[in-house]
Amino acid sequence: MEYQRRNFLKLMGVGGAFTLLPLGLARAATTPNPEDRAVYISASAGEHDDYYVSAFNASGKILFEQALPGRGHDIGLRPNHVDVAAVERRPGLYGLILDRHTGEVRAKLHCPQDRRFYGHAIYSNDGRYLYITENDFDHARGVVSVWDAEDGYRRVAEFDSFGTGPHELHLMPDGEHLVIANGGLHTHPDQDGRTPLNISSMEPNLSIIERRTGKLVHQAALKHDWHKLSIRHLDVAANGMIAAGFQYQGDLTDQVPLVGIWQPGSEIRPIEAPDNVQYRMRQYCGSVRFDASGQVFGISCPRGGLVTFWDAQTNDFLTHIAAPDGCGLAATNQSGEFVGTSGLGNGWRMDAIRRKRVELPDDSHKSLHWDNHLRRIQA
Amino acid sequence: MIFKPSWRSLLLSTTTVLAVGLSAPGAKADIPDESYQPVLAHLLGTVMPPKLDEFHTATEELSEEFRDFCSDPDNGGLEDTQAAYHAAMDIWQEIQPWRMGPLVANGRDQHIEYWPDKHGTAARQFRKLMFDKPAAYTDPEQLAGASAALQGFPALEEVLFADDHGDQMIAADEDGVFLCQYGTAIATNLGTLSGELQAEWPEFATAMENAGPDSMDYPSAKFAATDLYRALHEGLLIISTQKLARPLGENAEDARASRGESPLAGRSLRNIEHNLIGLFAIYDGTWGDVGEEGKGLAALIDNSLLDRSFKLNWQTVSDTVADLPPSVAEVLDQSDGYATLSDLKGQIEFLTMLVENDVGGNTQLGGGFNALDGD
Repeated sequence: MEYQRRNFLKLMGVGGAFTLLPLGLARAATTPNPEDRAVYISASAGEHDDYYVSAFNASGKILFEQALPGRGHDIGLRPNHVDVAAVERRPGLYGLILDRHTGEVRAKLHCPQDRRFYGHAIYSNDGRYLYITENDFDHARGVVSVWDAEDGYRRVAEFDSFGTGPHELHLMPDGEHLVIANGGLHTHPDQDGRTPLNISSMEPNLSIIERRTGKLVHQAALKHDWHKLSIRHLDVAANGMIAAGFQYQGDLTDQVPLVGIWQPGSEIRPIEAPDNVQYRMRQYCGSVRFDASGQVFGISCPRGGLVTFWDAQTNDFLTHIAAPDGCGLAATNQSGEFVGTSGLGNGWRMDAIRRKRVELPDDSHKSLHWDNHLRRIQA
Repeated sequence: MIFKPSWRSLLLSTTTVLAVGLSAPGAKADIPDESYQPVLAHLLGTVMPPKLDEFHTATEELSEEFRDFCSDPDNGGLEDTQAAYHAAMDIWQEIQPWRMGPLVANGRDQHIEYWPDKHGTAARQFRKLMFDKPAAYTDPEQLAGASAALQGFPALEEVLFADDHGDQMIAADEDGVFLCQYGTAIATNLGTLSGELQAEWPEFATAMENAGPDSMDYPSAKFAATDLYRALHEGLLIISTQKLARPLGENAEDARASRGESPLAGRSLRNIEHNLIGLFAIYDGTWGDVGEEGKGLAALIDNSLLDRSFKLNWQTVSDTVADLPPSVAEVLDQSDGYATLSDLKGQIEFLTMLVENDVGGNTQLGGGFNALDGD
């Protein structure tokens, strides 16, 4: 009997002290916080044009750094598997499949000569297929390529993205459809692959396609007056609501919305922050993320150095928290809570409900410039 | 052949001196956060408040002139009111580029001056206004809730400088009486807006000066100072990409003075002259007789040669603008007018580049990894 008790306490990791704890704490000690075991993963950069995929824990302690041949952007997570996909940002040529625990390279993806990767990738729920946004630059057409993870990541299909300059894409809650942010910007590798060539005629949209056939199911655009709002980043709530962040290609002083809500089948609903916050968003949104409850979403604005938070039920602006050069955003397991990262090296835990920002305590993550997007892996 | 120095050779020569005179910088140490605090305190706490007082006084005087003029309209009164408009507009144009805090809260900058009006909203609404003559638009309080296009300086410019509005007001016919009452309401509303700005500024300045980790708005003095750098950078960008690019159009045939700012009052370039005064204050710390030289962003630049070069370049551009007539129309009427304005645009773009490279780099306020090159 004594042996059993000792082993139980050992498993709890608290030894004899366990019996001295107040009841509430004792209960807490028996239920480890899942956040303590969470891993955050992101593209990053060093000081000398050196680029990585890096992971840190909930305290901000670096777990691994895997060097990349060029600058990354977002990370796709393969469900129930060690694979993560790091696709080079536009105009990207490589994609690497890495082990989420070590960063070890497990597979390499090569972009066809007449295509360029655009930095975002997403897996199907069963983990078999990887979908990547690409530029068919000679035809000013966006495409979504399909790669079979169970067949050595063979490129097996290509669908139209139904727009130009596709950027972030997500799986819809039914697992059968993909929503794609077609940013509307045409670029060509002969002209550096990043300079917009069609600002006066750009036509961004949000499109939903069947992931197995590529058939267009829904599409929506903003009114023509706002055609210079490049729809670049988005996230999808469990109820199918889509939040999108825009990047404006027009004048600094133009008053335009920078955030949109879309329920497929209806129009995109533009929403705005109060003037003094809207102005500080500097016409540019970096990444979009719903919280764990789906009731709050955050949109980072790195040019303005702040993260804005929005009520997903009323579509109202909630609050903002300053985050110098902050861009990466991932939801923790707590309602209204996010972890944010910065190009200046900072990592914060941010509470949109209580309007709080706390630096991650371990300084090791501060050695890197954290790139556009951050993903959370529940270990 | 006599070498005639152009602005390009003058501006470039100082930069060349710098490039030759300076050795390649190594990795620079971070400027301590406490170094940004005195800059914030000086610019936001010492320099700006008297200028907001000046603006408020100017708008109050404008509304008083309007009332005097309308009580017994004559040519002298009209000229005095136009002069009061110019005085208020001069100081507004100096304040305008400081786009931050109370200046942009509640759309205040747009209510003070709705420009550029890309869809001709003001002209359309003004025509309707003159047809209907609604009494609400002669009441400053009700006017404050009306369309931004019908408030502020552009609307006042329409009343004071367009067509035969001055003659109508002097004649005190039906249109003239309405214009007088409407113009007085606009001027009074401008006094209210400038008063709000004056009242709200200290709280904003204090928040910026007290930047620190506990603030959810400004977590460091450096971050707060970034707003000043951005105002300087964006102020120049707005001059070149809007205030000059709009009237210049695609080419000489496409140029239209009417697309400039304040075209009816004939002061598109006078506005730029005053913009440059307000913008230079951010860098140098002096604004007319207010402030102290070297206490703006320049205080963060540990390089006297670079500082001198930047000031010299700025002075060259300011002199160029000061030597031009106040209106774009007058310049475009000259045989080489289009080239003159294009040249000025090039000078402003050169200053913008200096701000990005020299000021942004040396003050370490130029932007971060994601802000400068995100996707």
